[in-house]
Amino acid sequence: MTSEAATAAIPALRSDQLFVNLGPQHPSTHGVLRVGLTIEGEVIVKAVPDIGYLHRGTEKLAEARGYHHCVVLTDRWDYVASMPNNLVFCLAAEKLLGVKATPRADALRVMMCELNRIASHLLFVGTYGIDIGAFTPFLYAFREREMILDLFEMVCGARLTYNYIRLGGVMVDVTPEWTAKLKEFLEYFKPKIDEYDQLLSYNPIFMARTQGVGLITAAEAVSWSLSGPNLRGSGVVYDARKADPYCGYENYDFDVVVGKEGSCWDRYFCRVTEMRQSVRIVEQVLAKLPEGPVMAAGVAKIPKPAPGEAYAHVEAARGDLGVHLVSDGGVSPFRMHVRAPSFLNLAILQEKLVGMKISDVIALLGSTDIVLGEVDR
Amino acid sequence: MTQDELLAKMQKKFPKAAKTAVQVKDYLTVSLPSKDDLIPVAAWLKKEGFDYLDMLTAVDYLGPVDMKGYIRQANFNVFLPEGAAPQAESAAVAGYAYRPVLELVWAFVSMKDKARIFVKLEVPRDAARAPSLSGLFKSADWQEREVFDLFGVVYDGHPNLTKILTPDFLQGHPLRKDYVHIKDRYDE
Repeated sequence: MTSEAATAAIPALRSDQLFVNLGPQHPSTHGVLRVGLTIEGEVIVKAVPDIGYLHRGTEKLAEARGYHHCVVLTDRWDYVASMPNNLVFCLAAEKLLGVKATPRADALRVMMCELNRIASHLLFVGTYGIDIGAFTPFLYAFREREMILDLFEMVCGARLTYNYIRLGGVMVDVTPEWTAKLKEFLEYFKPKIDEYDQLLSYNPIFMARTQGVGLITAAEAVSWSLSGPNLRGSGVVYDARKADPYCGYENYDFDVVVGKEGSCWDRYFCRVTEMRQSVRIVEQVLAKLPEGPVMAAGVAKIPKPAPGEAYAHVEAARGDLGVHLVSDGGVSPFRMHVRAPSFLNLAILQEKLVGMKISDVIALLGSTDIVLGEVDR
Repeated sequence: MTQDELLAKMQKKFPKAAKTAVQVKDYLTVSLPSKDDLIPVAAWLKKEGFDYLDMLTAVDYLGPVDMKGYIRQANFNVFLPEGAAPQAESAAVAGYAYRPVLELVWAFVSMKDKARIFVKLEVPRDAARAPSLSGLFKSADWQEREVFDLFGVVYDGHPNLTKILTPDFLQGHPLRKDYVHIKDRYDE
């Protein structure tokens, strides 16, 4: 019997649809995300992301707290990169208050946000490797991330929830010892990025698992309002640091990194390359760090901005993070809305997962680099 | 394109779209007279290059929240020692025009022109309805569900308008200013 005849002899396989719960406690979901997958064989026919497990209602909490208190709330959105969270709230509140941060504070804000971006992308590189099945890069990435967290601990005492960027400036100035340690780190870190490329980026197994998988076209990325490396991975050149510069980003020389086809590998590689750009920015900030105070004068202990509305957005590690503030002239924000990049980056999954194989679900989910604290707020 | 040029261009097509009294600082903010204008305005904006729906939210102008129940110790001066008498209270501000409306806000971005426009629409609180933009922008899907969940705004034409952030047993819409939390099994 030839093999064709053998295949024909078997009656057509009847496959039933099966419902599989991915999460909420699954190591690859990076938090408490549940995806209800309906599968047929190995192919996804329906995917329903279920979020809200980490919903703490920070937007409501802000309505009963002062502006200084709200900075603490912002730390809890994207808890692996919370410097930009502090920054975006402060920028919006400063617009309402009519306060401008001092030049040295602006430079320090840029430096901290870029260092935090590196730390966040390192976490991504490490955990994405694990998702795909490469454990070793995790150890390397966390070794370097630890050094950045040590730097943060030196300057503000916290390793994850910094509360460092305050209304009108930053909490405390950096010391010469800190700057020396940062320079030491940058010199150490630059060759390490090439090491990641050797270990993971150009690893044949990793490339086979991620290249050409989870393709998102530029039109889809724009329609789903993706932002950050997810948007740029699809080849769309959009970066809040260039499009709507804040804190003096227009004075620094850096490139907006874009991918080619919008595959998981493109999104991954955007982040790795962005780390190089962040190092470039930090070096430029260090070279021309202006002298002066780090806190603007005239920020009240109980700020009461005039009635009005303000919107500020920054390029956070995960994308375009925005805060919309409405003030009625009282001591608390009348309304605070957070435009959370992870929330919007996650929404596309329900469409993109359909038709994929189960093993690719993790590849796509990991490559969007969501933080559930920010998705649910 | 400056804000005035954009406004002039928009008013040529939609004469009833007006600049709002309170502008979102640094960005052009226009208000729509009725909800029937939303879809044509959004479609026109998309055609004009504002093809990125950046943000979609709502604001309840009923009045400030009653902070009792949200905050154990209201001490707005963060520099006072713990346990000191509070210096300020979150309270209604005299002279501010509180009104029983929900204001819906959309923000559109043109990546080409590096421009941003805020579009606003006021709807009554007891009949909060607006057309859904999910046909034009995919990202409206989850954002409208969020506003539906937290504010109770019904978006007509949305394919799957269900709760998204709050648990199924939670009654009411938490971001409305008159929301009262009903104790459930997770309290205490």
